[in-house]
Amino acid sequence: MPWDLKPDRPIYTQLVEHIELMILSGVYPPGTKLPSVRDLAKEASVNPNTMQRALSKLEEDGLIITHRTSGRSITEDSGMIKKAKTRIAQEQVLEFLEKMQKLGFDQKEILSIITGMIEEVRR
Amino acid sequence: MLTRLIKYELKATGRVLLPLYAVLLVFAAISKLIFAFSDNSYSVPAVISTMIYIMILIGMFVMTFVVMIQRFYKNLLSDEGYLMFTLPTMTWKHITSKLLVSTIWNIGSSLAAILSIVILAFDEIFFTGLLPKFFRLLGEFFNSFGLNSGLIILEFILAGIICMASGMLIIYASIALGHLFNQHRVLASLGAFLALSTVSQILFFCVTSLPGLDSLSEYVDSLDNLQASAFMFHWVMWFIIIFFGLLSAGYFFITNYILNKRLNLE
Amino acid sequence: MTPVLECNGLTKAFGRKKALSDVSLKIDHGQIVGLLGPNGSGKTTLIKLANALLTPSAGEIRIAGMTPGLSTKKIISYLPERNYLNDWMRVQDIIGLFSDFYEDFKPEKAYDMLKRLNISANDRLKTLSKGTKEKVQLVLVMSREAELYLLDEPIGGVDPAARDYILETIISNYNPEATVIISTHLISDIERVLDYVVFINEGRVVLSSSVEDIREQGKSVDGLFREVFRC
Repeated sequence: MPWDLKPDRPIYTQLVEHIELMILSGVYPPGTKLPSVRDLAKEASVNPNTMQRALSKLEEDGLIITHRTSGRSITEDSGMIKKAKTRIAQEQVLEFLEKMQKLGFDQKEILSIITGMIEEVRR
Repeated sequence: MLTRLIKYELKATGRVLLPLYAVLLVFAAISKLIFAFSDNSYSVPAVISTMIYIMILIGMFVMTFVVMIQRFYKNLLSDEGYLMFTLPTMTWKHITSKLLVSTIWNIGSSLAAILSIVILAFDEIFFTGLLPKFFRLLGEFFNSFGLNSGLIILEFILAGIICMASGMLIIYASIALGHLFNQHRVLASLGAFLALSTVSQILFFCVTSLPGLDSLSEYVDSLDNLQASAFMFHWVMWFIIIFFGLLSAGYFFITNYILNKRLNLE
Repeated sequence: MTPVLECNGLTKAFGRKKALSDVSLKIDHGQIVGLLGPNGSGKTTLIKLANALLTPSAGEIRIAGMTPGLSTKKIISYLPERNYLNDWMRVQDIIGLFSDFYEDFKPEKAYDMLKRLNISANDRLKTLSKGTKEKVQLVLVMSREAELYLLDEPIGGVDPAARDYILETIISNYNPEATVIISTHLISDIERVLDYVVFINEGRVVLSSSVEDIREQGKSVDGLFREVFRC
């Protein structure tokens, strides 16, 4: 997954989102070891300090576990991963809902559009 | 750190001068052989080889001088100075290492010249008894003045080295003074050299005409001839050693102060 | 903690021309800092003052609390914008010189980097191309474990591939306690690695800010630079 960083948003938040996505989409399955900060920084060609901060944030969120001796790995707690997945889904939906409201749709209309779309995709 | 600086200085300069010494000696030997095999000393090959020998000899001394200036100017005050002045070492060590190594090469060039003459005049020196005769005459000369030849040699060597050092340090100080200017630094260095030599000469005249010297000449008058000449000889030697020693210290101080406190690399 | 670099009213004039005027600045440990400005804005002058290669006309500059001198030279690793190599040396000689004089120089690191760059330690410096000489100097500078790295235009004269290599070298040798100050006018190439930027123009600091603060406002460093230095 290429590190596609935008120049006009904080790098730190973009790194957090990117690594989160890599974990949730299975690029880094639960329990696998993460590369070192330096290697990750080199891969993304960003400052190791920023990468360090991003990893600390992910650790706070419970997605990454730091071992005293052997670096970092992805959590094996599937509940944690599920929780993170749900949170991202909620964020996405919230954003979507805000946009729809701006366009003047009410709850019922939104739901009918969604069910309609799902039917269409299924076919 | 000083020994390491000297090591690099010797490496940087030795690669230019040592081959020159070798060429000089080899050419002296070749000339010697040509002389040995030609009937008269005005034959064409003999004249040509003598001329080449003399050119190499002059070239060697010129190179010694050029290397001395170039090592100071180029290594410290041009782009290479970016490396030298960011090394964690004191400025006086840079100056000292350059001064010491230049002194070594000055002596080295003189020795190489003497050695080449010895090669050229090998027969005359060793087979005609010229050498022992020369030393005997020298010894008699000193003895007649009641001088200790060991002390004299020491004084000569000391005076020679100090005069040599002051000659180099005045150039270092001139280059450093020229560096104080923002433009035309080479021209400014030449000007500084003229100014420094003038000041040094004025100092020399001032010191030699100090009032105390009158009583000294009265004292010399009270001695007999032999004692007087011995006394005067030592006196003059030590005067030279001390005067040029102090002058060298002054030049060194100027150079060190400027390179330390007023450095402005372009 | 004392800042690793601090200037107070720092001024440097060459004759009547002021290269730096009244610069006051504080830079802390543990960052990668971009010293950004157009050509001739005073970036090189500031870096040379930090290295004691220039003497201030007024004001002061301090490195980890000390005036530039013997003890600051021990902790600064400096890459000048020009070639300072002695032509007569071989690559291994200059590595020897660095290990002789700098206690924090790691020769094995230097040899390792040279190998990856396909530069032979036996080559004479005289025979190397300009770009290769620049790489040798970068290798020397990055093989030290210094407190402060001052890199003057490290990516100025090289092609994009070499530029990537240089950035990679800086990132992979970076020690989180050290500070790296990179001067350049090519901002978009390096802005991803910067923690902090200082914009300098006509000898004055016009802006100093953390990069994340700039991005929080929805701007890129490059965009802000163009805004500040619009002609």
